Amino acid sequence: MSLKLENVTKTYGPVTALANATIEVHPGEVVGLVGENGAGKSTLMRILAGVVQPSSGAFTIDGEPVRFSGTLDANAAGIGMVYQEQSLILPLSIAENMYLGQERRFTKYGLIDHAAMREAARRNLEKVQLDIDPVRPASELTFAERQMVELAKALTLEERDVERLVILLDEPTSVLEQAEIDVLFARIRALKDRASFIFVSHRLDEVLEISDRIYTMKDGEVVDERPAAGARESDLHEVMVGRVLEHNFYLEDEQEPPQDSVALELRGLGSGRAYRNINLTLHAGEVLGIAGVIGSGREALARAVFGMERPESGEIVIHGKVEGIPDPSVAVRKGLGFVPSERGIEGMVPMLPVSENISLANLDSITGPFGLDRRRETALAREWIERLRIKTPGPAAPIRSLSGGNQQKAVIAKWLNADSRILVLDHPTRGVDVGAKHEVFSLIRELCREGYAILLLADTLAETIGLSHRVLVMRDGEITADIPAPAGDKPSQTRIVEHMV
Amino acid sequence: MTATFPSRGQVLSAAPTVFLILLTAIIVLASPGFFSGSTILVILADSVVLFTLAAGLSFVILLGSIDLSVPAVASLGGVIVAMLIPSIGLAAYPAAILAGAGAGLFSGLVHVLLRVPSFIATLATGGIVSGMALWLSSSRTVTIAGEYRHVLDPVIGDSFGIPRIILIGAVVCLIGVYIQRYTKFGRAIRAIGAGESAVRASGIHVGRQKLIAFTIAGAFAACGGALLAARMTSGNPAGAEQLLLPAIAAVLVGGTAITGGTGGVGRTVVGTLIVIVMRIGMTFMGVDVFAQQILFGSVLICAIALTLDRDLLQIVK
Repeated sequence: MSLKLENVTKTYGPVTALANATIEVHPGEVVGLVGENGAGKSTLMRILAGVVQPSSGAFTIDGEPVRFSGTLDANAAGIGMVYQEQSLILPLSIAENMYLGQERRFTKYGLIDHAAMREAARRNLEKVQLDIDPVRPASELTFAERQMVELAKALTLEERDVERLVILLDEPTSVLEQAEIDVLFARIRALKDRASFIFVSHRLDEVLEISDRIYTMKDGEVVDERPAAGARESDLHEVMVGRVLEHNFYLEDEQEPPQDSVALELRGLGSGRAYRNINLTLHAGEVLGIAGVIGSGREALARAVFGMERPESGEIVIHGKVEGIPDPSVAVRKGLGFVPSERGIEGMVPMLPVSENISLANLDSITGPFGLDRRRETALAREWIERLRIKTPGPAAPIRSLSGGNQQKAVIAKWLNADSRILVLDHPTRGVDVGAKHEVFSLIRELCREGYAILLLADTLAETIGLSHRVLVMRDGEITADIPAPAGDKPSQTRIVEHMV
Repeated sequence: MTATFPSRGQVLSAAPTVFLILLTAIIVLASPGFFSGSTILVILADSVVLFTLAAGLSFVILLGSIDLSVPAVASLGGVIVAMLIPSIGLAAYPAAILAGAGAGLFSGLVHVLLRVPSFIATLATGGIVSGMALWLSSSRTVTIAGEYRHVLDPVIGDSFGIPRIILIGAVVCLIGVYIQRYTKFGRAIRAIGAGESAVRASGIHVGRQKLIAFTIAGAFAACGGALLAARMTSGNPAGAEQLLLPAIAAVLVGGTAITGGTGGVGRTVVGTLIVIVMRIGMTFMGVDVFAQQILFGSVLICAIALTLDRDLLQIVK
């Protein structure tokens, strides 16, 4: 089926989220949708999925105007959404998840025929070539498998009375690693004769790889449409942000050699099957990138360094002293800071003001003779806001009202305020748009020059290589390579990937 | 968008005070005799015991937890004061408060170390503490004999024409507000209520802060119980039992969210006054006792519904 939005506008009060957007999706096509945060991609997807209704404009399927009053209507028309944040209910079985809300189809005498549901689930899992018993609870699946189950769930719509499907993929790769992404893409290609796809991602290389045609959005408008063949990443960047992706995107020119002094050393660190016998040395002024797919153990390792999880064996040495780090409070006292990947949960307290988030890791810094001094806190927050150029209405604004990039800068300010000289950055640019990414990179370079030591788990391989002085590669819980990445002589992605899988 | 209109937060923080003023105005209009100097003093004096309980409870609720053992601990405090006054005189008050702190710490340990939800942990401790109060007092109200009345005088006497219990209430309030607004602990618990994981990942020892919060709630509860015993000149092992709902109501009606993260002891002052004014006012106006309960419950539900920020709370368990 072919689907068309024509001059569709969506306003929320005075805010226009989507302005006169026109897009078309043809049968068997993968349409890429790119744009910075806030460009209107999500609103567009939500309209297609029936979650929100457009304020004006035409929405037609095969020329027939449609009006959805909810996701169920969209489903009935053959449109399914695979959400970015995974929506499986973990204690339920895979089959129950796939047919959640559609149990009526398997009901006999008022009872659910689980065998029939299992069979149907198995048929759909086969379409994505996932050989898993649908009776198993979703909690037993890996992230990549869950994503596949979500895709299979969307494919169950085929069993309805619809000709073809349109499947909306909202950042499906954000939690996947390269090998898993390759599998996902292979499935999407194989499914093209059954369905059309709309693919939203921050990673332009992926969009270019999988899409047939690409729409670019900016400030609520569709500003560009082009075939993917022949298009380059830099072209898309240019229309997205109105500037060229410069050669020096990761500010390699500002990369200076690290100092000789060792800030952090891990000796034989291990924890069950997650990671084993990890030895590494992090110098002052150095960015040490750790590359690895999900399951390589790098996340667990990063969390263990900060005391979020306890290693079973080995030693953590900070500035030459062996330290036990049983929990984060000790880690902070020893001069460590942690920017977690789940910013909204572990990185910041969303409803608290920017100022209170910045002071949280070092309340002593705002303690005066009579206890907490709010004036001092505000002044301190203003200093950091100015120094890190955090865009906020003021120190008292709730941090959740800031954009992703500015939230992240405030989280980093928290650690600078706590005088943490060793920073563990777990996906520091996740959910941060291109412009703000640049500022985060610039901050990382600046911190290095000031002698901070940074352990980095980056969003992409390009980012890992671009930012790091050295890249450690992990596979199945072990370090498989230690590759230098000096400015001007960066290793290629393939050289790193070969040690990852 | 937020620059010209008062934000949701600003409206909510002003609402309890506005409500208190409206409530008073309605009662004054209906029965003009209500708003005399002496009724105000009576209202304030009657508020102190409830306020002390609610102030301590505020810390736990700010944290996002609940303490159901408050009335039991208060009753225990009353019994201890009544029993110890003959032997140790004024030292009976700190002894009772210490016992309350111990009970609170125990609740905290059960909650934090054994990872039992606070609802159940404090329900259970409440049972234990209640039993202890009954056992200590042999299930009887312990009367404070007339010869020891001078020990009660600091609580039930007057200074400068003002009942001393009001002054005590003011001191309790100052201590509570100071702890909550000006200490690292106070900041930490509010932050924990707003987002525990991030607070932990900022290097704050979350378990320790929770223990302190429950200990403070216990100490305040016992203090309230001691004041109650002094006013009644007896320690009743079940004397504070009916104060649970009013205490929770005082905290919530004042504007501290049941989910934690916003509010504070200062708001509980207003909340307590609302609860007391409602109760005394309705009696004054001759509202039926049953109707009072209905109105009271309705106000509590409204208060909770209003303070919940539904943007943050998609699922209620």
